[in-house]
Amino acid sequence: MKVLVFIKEVADTEARIIISSDQKDLEIENKYTVNFFDEFAVEEAIRIKESLKDVEITVCTFAPPRAVEALRTTIAMGADRAFLIDSRNHESDDPLIVSRILAGFAGKEGFDLILCGRQAMDDESANVGPMIAEFLKIPHVNQVTRLQVSGTGTAEVQSEIEGGKKVSEISLPALLTTQKGLNEPRVPLITGVMKAMKTEIAVLDPVAIEIPFGSIDRETSKIAVLSYELPAKRPSVSIIEGASPEEKATGLVRALKEEAKVL
Amino acid sequence: MTRDVFVFVECKDSVPRKASLELLSVGRRVASQFSSGLFAVVVGSGVKDAAEMVSGYADTTVLVDDESLADYGWDTYGSVLEGILKKYEPMLLLGTSSMTGKDLFPRIAVRLQAAMISDAVGLDLEGEGIKIKKPLFGGKVISWLAPKADSMVIVTFRPNSFTVGNAGDKGRIVQEQFTAEANPGIKRVSFEKTGSKKVDLQEADFIICGGRGMKAAEHFVMLDEIADLMGGRTGASRTVVDSKWREYDDQIGKSGKTVSPKLYIGCGLSGALHHIMGMDTSRVIVAINKDPNAPIFQYADYGIVDDLFAVLPALKDELKKTREDT
Ligand SMILES: Cc1cc2nc3c(=O)[nH]c(=O)nc-3n(C[C@H](O)[C@H](O)[C@H](O)COP(=O)(O)OP(=O)(O)OC[C@H]3O[C@@H](n4cnc5c(N)ncnc54)[C@H](O)[C@@H]3O)c2cc1C
Repeated sequence: MKVLVFIKEVADTEARIIISSDQKDLEIENKYTVNFFDEFAVEEAIRIKESLKDVEITVCTFAPPRAVEALRTTIAMGADRAFLIDSRNHESDDPLIVSRILAGFAGKEGFDLILCGRQAMDDESANVGPMIAEFLKIPHVNQVTRLQVSGTGTAEVQSEIEGGKKVSEISLPALLTTQKGLNEPRVPLITGVMKAMKTEIAVLDPVAIEIPFGSIDRETSKIAVLSYELPAKRPSVSIIEGASPEEKATGLVRALKEEAKVL
Repeated sequence: MTRDVFVFVECKDSVPRKASLELLSVGRRVASQFSSGLFAVVVGSGVKDAAEMVSGYADTTVLVDDESLADYGWDTYGSVLEGILKKYEPMLLLGTSSMTGKDLFPRIAVRLQAAMISDAVGLDLEGEGIKIKKPLFGGKVISWLAPKADSMVIVTFRPNSFTVGNAGDKGRIVQEQFTAEANPGIKRVSFEKTGSKKVDLQEADFIICGGRGMKAAEHFVMLDEIADLMGGRTGASRTVVDSKWREYDDQIGKSGKTVSPKLYIGCGLSGALHHIMGMDTSRVIVAINKDPNAPIFQYADYGIVDDLFAVLPALKDELKKTREDT
């Protein structure tokens, strides 16, 4: 069985981000990590490999070469192979283009199951998973919290949907996006880290993949970034003083009513 | 392609969600600018009343009411929505970046080769086009995006991004028949309703959120009482969820939900960046913490430095009084 995991390397929460003076570019401090929700996808793939025979885990990202580090982390966890599709000459602001490229890779590579995180922490767009599934004409389930893959080409999947939890049976090939709660991602062992350091990670040119799902040229992007700005700053906090907790509570409610007008 | 603006209306228990009414209000602004029609799309089973309700916000309400649409699925709802969009060819489709929105719209965008912008928080009109405001990196940066106008555009917004306007004269309701095509690859085995909470956390106008300082699961009753009193919801920090004091459904922050209520009150939470990223678009933020140096005060509009166990009972009484006055 072939399991494909798509990951994204994202800026760490603590990373400093500077907006260029013309507001057209971002300079991100070199602190990156594997996207939080993608770790569940990698972990789940490894668990499938541990419970079934003959499972091969391939991890792939569409990113600049720096993201090889994120791929190494997944190898250290237990993935078998990793590919980086070089994004430098391509558009990554249009999810249709990103999904075309990743779906193209999946189609060429072949797979029984695709896993990816439910959304990326940097843009929170949550588009790429279902879009890849649509390009590949396979079913998907979002926000998976439990997965049981049988050896016979089906899987039982529990997922979060509006208002509750759903259990579905899906036939493979399929795509699942992973939600917190599915598993506890492991911390790589030192032997894994050693192996990851030695693993050759292929860097692919998207053009060479020969993607059958439409153009990936920058000119066909449907999204233009106009500008970046800092969020509006709040005025500094006004601390409600009072001789007792009761007085403070009274003062707060008065301020919320008369000043902030939210009550 | 027409210049019409469509809003996909989500219903909860056959009642249109507030977030969808917000979209109809901003949709009206766009439709007026382009002198075009505003359409509401209501899809489901037993949703005629919902269509009736939203018809006061739209020129036309397109209704597909069929038993086969009783349970949501991207396959069934997707085939119906695709049918509607191909027939009416709107310029713009607005939706909510809810669990349903994140499941449904990406597939539709591929089928229609539409420009897709998701999880936005604002919209500006600019001459012949629209500008979309979307936070990045947990709100550290705001980006402004423009969809290119040569194809249909789909934009999803976070709940509480716009205020709901007043309903006007009822528009017409057009009932359509589109077959709901179920994907043979997915079979629904069971469904378990969770958190029968009345208000959706992301749609709530009022949130009172507890952190580790609440000390134990049972103390959250104090927050629940205040939330009920205010018609809002209780939220939780990740520490609280990891300690199993509250469900993950309540978690606010980078790895939980992003909320922007009118009023957010944080009790006994420190204000870690991961948490702030999920709530700093709230209109007014209040922090209650006994430590005057807690980082949460850097993000708050109002603060009380005191023991929350002494403040909360008094706060509840005061809020009750204002509720009774109005
Ligand atoms: C990848 C990642 C993702 C994360 N995602 C999230 C997320 O989505 N949401 C989230 O919340 N966190 C998230 N976190 C965790 C986050 O970094 C913090 O650890 C967490 O938010 C801290 O929770 P807290 O404020 O409840 O607890 P603490 O930081 O321990 O703060 C407790 C506060 O309570 C105050 N206090 C204690 N007793 C009282 C009292 N009697 N009266 C008044 N005040 C009192 C203390 O002064 C203190 O400030 C994430 C972390 C990581 C690494």
